[in-house]
Amino acid sequence: MNAFLQTKLPLFARENPGVEVSVSPRPGKHPVIRGHFINGREKAVCVRNMTPHEILEKALYVRSSSGEKLNKGMKAGRNVVRSNNESVRGVWDPYHGGDFKV
Amino acid sequence: MGKPATAATRQLQGRDDHVQHQWRGQKRCIASRREASSAAAQEVDEPVVEEDAVGPAYQPFEDQTRRPLNAPSHRQALKSAKLAALHARLQLPAKLPLQTLARCLIDPSVDPRPGYNNEPLSILGQELLGYYTAEWLMTRYPRLPMPILFAAQYAFVGNQTLAAMRTEWGVETVAAPGPEVDPGLLQLKRQTPGNALADGEQMRIKHMPQAKRIGSGRRNEEYNYRRGMSSRIVYDDQFGDLQTSLATSTSDSTPPYPSAPISRPDDSTSFRLPDASSEQSPPPSDWYLPRSTQYQDPTATTVEAASATFVRALAGALYLHAGTPASKHFHEQHVVSRHLPLHTLFNFAHPTRDLSRLCAREGFEPPVARLISETGRLSRTPVFVVGVFSGEDKLGEGAGASLNEGRVRAAAAALRGWYLYSPPDGKAMRPSEVEGTGHGKKWKPQMIDIGEIIT
Repeated sequence: MNAFLQTKLPLFARENPGVEVSVSPRPGKHPVIRGHFINGREKAVCVRNMTPHEILEKALYVRSSSGEKLNKGMKAGRNVVRSNNESVRGVWDPYHGGDFKV
Repeated sequence: MGKPATAATRQLQGRDDHVQHQWRGQKRCIASRREASSAAAQEVDEPVVEEDAVGPAYQPFEDQTRRPLNAPSHRQALKSAKLAALHARLQLPAKLPLQTLARCLIDPSVDPRPGYNNEPLSILGQELLGYYTAEWLMTRYPRLPMPILFAAQYAFVGNQTLAAMRTEWGVETVAAPGPEVDPGLLQLKRQTPGNALADGEQMRIKHMPQAKRIGSGRRNEEYNYRRGMSSRIVYDDQFGDLQTSLATSTSDSTPPYPSAPISRPDDSTSFRLPDASSEQSPPPSDWYLPRSTQYQDPTATTVEAASATFVRALAGALYLHAGTPASKHFHEQHVVSRHLPLHTLFNFAHPTRDLSRLCAREGFEPPVARLISETGRLSRTPVFVVGVFSGEDKLGEGAGASLNEGRVRAAAAALRGWYLYSPPDGKAMRPSEVEGTGHGKKWKPQMIDIGEIIT
């Protein structure tokens, strides 16, 4: 972790200027990368005993994720596509289009 | 105990109360205590500007200069990781220095001096955002009725939207303002929430009697005065609301001077002018002060209002530092890019009558409703599809559970189609596009409709 802080972190911060990076010591505890997201959630990854490169990968992972829950389950509508736009075809209705013969 | 000491303790107590009241609602606070900032990388690239654009022109009064800062000084701005990250996240031009960005975050409730807070910038920004939004709406939807135009304007640059924008940008608010907090946080002094218990009372603050608005002498601002659309256009602000929003700090809930007229919701002779009799026998000195003003600090503000002020101030600061193109780009990127379903804003009382008046005005044949298809007329759930025709042209179509409902829906759809007309892509041109003659763009006159149907 110390090697990561000294070698990789300045570069990471420079390449991602939109991300606020703050480092605080945690004496006697495992090193953790904690991402705070705009939607109010946070994501923490323990990086104990990792090489600087591995830690950088974790940092990139936290940076690239949206902060949403990973598994929402079907109840939360995991596979639902949401859109602001109304559908082009509209809601199906039986009175337009071809006649349906019984 | 000397005077300054008592004042300081009172201030501290006030701040403690403040924290107790206002930190319940706030869920997250990322403000970290020990920070090794990422601003160091930014600091090298940023041009260091000692004074911002408004600063030198403003000459503070002498007593004002001695007043200690209640917000972080601009020297700390360069060291704040939050500010640098916000600057980069919003892709602001490098011409806008971090110090000005920090000043945009200082609400007048923290520092009432206009040379130190964001109020001058926000006044400029509000006018700019209002102007750009209004011309965008009017050229893009030239037939929008006035109430819809006001509502759309509010939906684009109203307080609620700008406050949502602030949270989407990831700007957080301070718990209590002070010179020691991070300058990347929105500095404001919060109002005590209405459901908090008033000190030494059994009542909640929202139930305490209070004066709502100050009349400035115009009947238009009287409580419950029926304000027509023309009056809203002429007298009121860009949203058709009473002009109280920008003057919150001084004139919203307390009168500016002891005998100022106040309109009260509860009494019938609501509008009082200080007449001769009141001068002869002066009323008790606090008759004008509602009881709740001792709890409602007039300088405090809400997070929503302060957030809106911040976004407006940022627009104004962009205009001052980086010019018109930057402020227009900001408007395109953050305001107009929001999705607003305009067709949901309409609320027709008599659509069939409006439509027939419209057809008469425009010289179309009178509208006729015809049944297009139907099903289950004798069942529990019949559906009728009705179209409104003017001669051979179908103006609108609607489906309803009865013939009348279908007809009304069809007329409303026809009216919506008329009012939401938009010129083809690339044809609409805004007046601000030809501002500053460097671009060589020529102004083409735009169609603006004569107005909505009033029946």
